[in-house]
Amino acid sequence: MMMPPSTARRLCFLSLLLLLLLLAAAASATADAAAAEEFTEELLLRPLPDRKALAHFHFRSSAPPASAAGRHHHLFPKAISQLVQKFHISELELSFTQGRWNYEQWGGYDPMSTNNAKPPGVELWAIFDLPLAEIDATWKNLTHTLSGLFCASINFLESSTAFSAPRWGFKLNEGNLRYGALPREAVCTENLTPWLKLLPCRDKAGIASLLYRPSVYKGYYHSQKLKLKSSQSLGIILDQTLTVVLQPNTVSGKQLHSTGGQLQPSWSMEHLFSKKLSGKCLVSKSSRVFVEIEKGIVDNVDKAGSDVSSNNDLFVLSTAPDRSLKELDNLEVQSSSLYEYDVNNYNSDKPLNVGITWKLPLIWSCTRAPYHASRFLMGSGNERGSIAMSFLSTGLDKQLVDSSNDCSIKAVVFQVVPWYVKVYYHSLEVFIDGNSKAISEVVDKIHVTPSEDKLLPGTMEMLLKFPCSMQLATLTLDFDKGFLHIDEYPPDANQGFDIPSALVSFPEFNSSRSYPEADPLFVSPLLENFKEDGVVKSYTEVLLVPLTTPDFSMPYNVITFTCTVLALYFGSLLNALRRRIGEEERGLKKAALVRELQFALLQSQSQMLRWSTIYFFCWI
Amino acid sequence: NTIACDGDGGSVRRASCFFPRFPTGMSLIPRAAPAASMAFAGRDPAVISLLKMLPLLLLLTFSSAAAPPAAASPSAVHNNNWAVLVCTSRFWFNYRHMANTLSLYRTVKRLGIPDERIILMLADDMACNPRNNYPAQVFNNENHQLNLYGDNVEVDYRGYEVTVENFLRVLTGRHESAVPRSKRLLSDEGSHILLYMTGHGGDEFLKFQDNEELQSHDLADAVKQMKEKHRFKELLIMVDTCQAATLFSQLQSPGVLAIGSSMKGENSYSHHLDSDIGVSVVDRFTFHTLAFFEKLNMYSNASLNSLFNSYDPSMLLSTAYYRMDLYKRALNEVMERYIYF
Repeated sequence: MMMPPSTARRLCFLSLLLLLLLLAAAASATADAAAAEEFTEELLLRPLPDRKALAHFHFRSSAPPASAAGRHHHLFPKAISQLVQKFHISELELSFTQGRWNYEQWGGYDPMSTNNAKPPGVELWAIFDLPLAEIDATWKNLTHTLSGLFCASINFLESSTAFSAPRWGFKLNEGNLRYGALPREAVCTENLTPWLKLLPCRDKAGIASLLYRPSVYKGYYHSQKLKLKSSQSLGIILDQTLTVVLQPNTVSGKQLHSTGGQLQPSWSMEHLFSKKLSGKCLVSKSSRVFVEIEKGIVDNVDKAGSDVSSNNDLFVLSTAPDRSLKELDNLEVQSSSLYEYDVNNYNSDKPLNVGITWKLPLIWSCTRAPYHASRFLMGSGNERGSIAMSFLSTGLDKQLVDSSNDCSIKAVVFQVVPWYVKVYYHSLEVFIDGNSKAISEVVDKIHVTPSEDKLLPGTMEMLLKFPCSMQLATLTLDFDKGFLHIDEYPPDANQGFDIPSALVSFPEFNSSRSYPEADPLFVSPLLENFKEDGVVKSYTEVLLVPLTTPDFSMPYNVITFTCTVLALYFGSLLNALRRRIGEEERGLKKAALVRELQFALLQSQSQMLRWSTIYFFCWI
Repeated sequence: NTIACDGDGGSVRRASCFFPRFPTGMSLIPRAAPAASMAFAGRDPAVISLLKMLPLLLLLTFSSAAAPPAAASPSAVHNNNWAVLVCTSRFWFNYRHMANTLSLYRTVKRLGIPDERIILMLADDMACNPRNNYPAQVFNNENHQLNLYGDNVEVDYRGYEVTVENFLRVLTGRHESAVPRSKRLLSDEGSHILLYMTGHGGDEFLKFQDNEELQSHDLADAVKQMKEKHRFKELLIMVDTCQAATLFSQLQSPGVLAIGSSMKGENSYSHHLDSDIGVSVVDRFTFHTLAFFEKLNMYSNASLNSLFNSYDPSMLLSTAYYRMDLYKRALNEVMERYIYF
């Protein structure tokens, strides 16, 4: 049936229009998906009580959930999204740390110390979205991939002697969490280089351009962290943070004030990083710098009678902030203050150089965790020793506690000990204020995975209940030192072997700081992280255990000695069996005689030949 | 008698093993070959080669998918450059070996080889070492003009990973399947490879991390495997240790150039001491090699002959040795092809 030409044309036109509409819809859909990738960068600066300054860089990249397997990213690093897809990761945290977080001076209660105080070396934990049987193999491949990605020896975590699977001591999970730490891993520029390459602007523009490497690595503590959360509903959220504690080396810090006390050092971004901030990363959604003034300083300012603005009797900020936020805690009492600078307002002609100048000498302290947890070794010799963990009360609990007798404070301890330090878990002893207590009084719950030689490390998860009035508690555990095979010793074996940091968390204490923001549209990821409910945690020290080392030259000595003995033995044996005394001389004499005879024969033959030729010619 | 293929991690006998290398990287010689040749060392080589040829001949006659058997194509075109830079010493007093390797790393990057084509192995961390007064900075001169560590360094094998086993795995390409690509030497038959090693060495050996040794026949064997697997077109080995020339005594593969910093019985010395850092910061041989390269840029036309001629025994305090008998081209024709295209 032929259609009249006009309707055919109309139909053609309509189908074309429909096709165009569909294409536009698809394009807008993909454009929406691509445009929904976000990147924000923030920097938080905070003066510390012991004349140092803390700088905390926070970069967040997020990618929306995608239905198709392959997709294009324009901000989110492809390496990370491929990692998440390939290994079915739902949560991952990888931190590289050098130095020890000074809990006494820098605080242990606020979200900064809870989230960013990490154990020295490399710490990696991951939660996988896989059946339990496949997780160990996936963990091995993950460690290798991360070692290639971040130029570190994370692949040493692949063997089962290096990682553990805690159930509730670290983070509550159903058996799909793996945790590993390498305390002796060096952290240097080569780890920062690929970490920065995951950012859309690298270190060329925006806040990351402040990272002058010698400044970062001269710090007292630096920790770079990569935290990844992936889900079907929210897509992938990647948080990269770098926390550095620096000592500003300025002249004013050494001067004595007229009142006799010593002023805190006045510093600025240029003092800390040798650079000023000349603009934001152009693809970032928001770029902000915060200066946080702790509660201790704010209280002093209030006592001096002035208002906590950026310019008051105690300190003055070098640039006027764009906004100031005040923290509200449960009692609606103002604690810390936050001054915000929007980097959008600054560029290379007018760079941003945030700084603080102190007017009066000031001493303050940061809030600490309820107990200061530390760990040390006891005993001497190369056969046995003890690990001791001490909890010293810091006085925080006094503020929160009623003096009733059944008040108690819970602490969760998570510790992984390598197999060659063979811990006897039955020898656990608890001393509270010097008195020995029964285990059942203090230990509420304990879960131990004992170590197996060359196979598994020993994992211990404990829930302890301390009475509120306690001053000092000590736990001790005895261990035997094991023997390693000669191939298992590292090249510098005489340094000793490390027991990774233990994690102590206090589940009843919530560390979060909420800075209510005026503008609901600009949600700062840094402040969002601060608002998250997290428990107060602290890491103990790394322990160095000297083990017996063999004499490494012994294999060479043994081979040389044995070969010499064998050579002497067989040489003598062959000599004794085959050698005849005097036979050689007789043989030589015989040979000489034979040679003489032959020579004589030859001579006579040649003479006969000569005479015969002469006769022949004569005859001719 | 199962014969395994290199690189596939299994012991499956495959017909394609005996055919020339496809882009996927399967080798021509089965993995058992080196061990077998060593086991049969005492017997008649003709018989052995005949025995080895038999299964090959059988397979050739019976298999249908016959790709054209070709030996190493002598006309392979040079199309990529690689550098493998190894520092084998640990501890702070061996700072100069790290500085040597990083100087070469910086030179090689400056002249055009990207990080993806460089395998850098550093046995210890000097830049962020607690004894380093200048954190994240490594110098090879006491004037501290040049920070070798820079902002963009990528180290592939670090610390305890720098072992003889890993070094040989990198050269021969025999890794576990989980090892990432950035830690592999992904060269092919058109590659020119620069292999630079520095550390402490002696007569026919090089010391790795004060713990183990790489012997000259290990190196020669690895290079032989590389040649058989078509992993390089030309290989330049530079070694800066004491008695470096002895490390090349067992090399037999064609296309290999070797430069050593000293002959048998001679030591290689450090150049100068930096009183600020407290240790010697560079070795003489590497210092003079760098002095030569610092005058070049990506477009220069210098030849290896001029590099050899620039070594002055009175400045080096040792005799720089070079081995050219395995190399077919005249040295004054060789433009610095190891550095650029």
